[in-house]
Amino acid sequence: MSVNTVTCQELPVAAYVEGELDPAGERSVERHLEGCAACRGLVADLRTVRAAAFTLDRREPPADLLSRIQARIVSEPKPAARLLAWPNTRAAWGTWLAAAAALLVATTVGIAPLLRPSAPMGSVPEAATPAALVDSVQADLEAAEQHYDRAIQGLEQIARSDSSELDPQVAAVLQKNLQVVDQAISESRAALKTQPASATAQEGLFDAMRTKVALLQQTVELINEMRKGNQAEAGRLMQDLSR
Amino acid sequence: MSSSKHSGAVRNADLDLAGRIKSGDAAAFEALYQQHASRLYNLASRMSGGADAEDLLQDIFLLAYRKVGSYRGESSLGTWLYRLAMNHCLDVLRNRQTRMGQVTDSMDEPDAAPVAAPGPTLSAVSRIDLERAIEALPPACRAAFLLHDVEGFGHQEVADILGVTEGTSKSQVHKARLRIRAHLGAREYSAG
Repeated sequence: MSVNTVTCQELPVAAYVEGELDPAGERSVERHLEGCAACRGLVADLRTVRAAAFTLDRREPPADLLSRIQARIVSEPKPAARLLAWPNTRAAWGTWLAAAAALLVATTVGIAPLLRPSAPMGSVPEAATPAALVDSVQADLEAAEQHYDRAIQGLEQIARSDSSELDPQVAAVLQKNLQVVDQAISESRAALKTQPASATAQEGLFDAMRTKVALLQQTVELINEMRKGNQAEAGRLMQDLSR
Repeated sequence: MSSSKHSGAVRNADLDLAGRIKSGDAAAFEALYQQHASRLYNLASRMSGGADAEDLLQDIFLLAYRKVGSYRGESSLGTWLYRLAMNHCLDVLRNRQTRMGQVTDSMDEPDAAPVAAPGPTLSAVSRIDLERAIEALPPACRAAFLLHDVEGFGHQEVADILGVTEGTSKSQVHKARLRIRAHLGAREYSAG
């Protein structure tokens, strides 16, 4: 149907319902609506839907949910990144860069099997797994895998070129940090092997993996800031890592 | 809550709250929870169809605690939290749909289905029917509709939360209303 040169297809219904048209635009739409029952019905229905949506019931979360979340937080493992040392001088930053790159390469080798769909977690019976939690972790890990794979290609080059400048003390701290995280993952995987349906064992493994991913994430962020020459942000990140 | 308006004292207050949460301040975490839990619960409930809302809300606040160190104050802490929450809900929904072999939608995808066809004029809309119609929306469309029409966020805020343009937000909300109208209209027709 066409009324006053504006056709039904051309009618800016969404903008009209939102009240976004200028006065001339509104008048044009209203002239069309006066002669078009179908569009008049459409506009009325869209307004009805909008009004009804705004008056839907409000739901409240269970009263004890906050305390349950806080209990989960209390049981979270301390970030292993706090074992990292803080370089004292700017000259040490180059060493840090190489050390961080080396750490990234080493830890990715360790975490890669866990990130693949065929990793042991995939053998956990689905019915025994909290669906939302598994979905969340799987999605995080898949995204992390892609993220780190891309980062590693560039970082391996840095590690190779700067490896001769690696400060043995920094490297040792990083190695220790890596061992702590790997040990946690190893123990969690062993626990899960003996109790594949245990939610606690699953969560333990997830937590250890999250710790490792968080460490990698911070390290990548630090390297990026150092590459950009953003000393203030890099310094702040290094403080976070050294806590 | 728009990022463009996030500056000065509000930004500093958000950064301070995030810093306190990161350092383990339980009162700061509780303040964040009390401010947003109810609205997030409603969103999570309607995004998931009601069944997993409690688990989703728990996951959202645990994720927020773990990731609050990445908050830099580019947007308000609320926008950051809603973005994290909606991403999580959409991930869960899409994984669920993938397992069930359903096709998932995308925020920027053009709508292939002609949903604007004329239909019967709706009489009074029952809340139960409307809830069912919302549940039948594709996830991305549902997210925009819930944020804008149910929770009352502006289109720019919806865009900030969902990581899309303001135009995409408007388009998604309009598509959602058309789909709901079609759903309710078909229901009235079959009932009448």
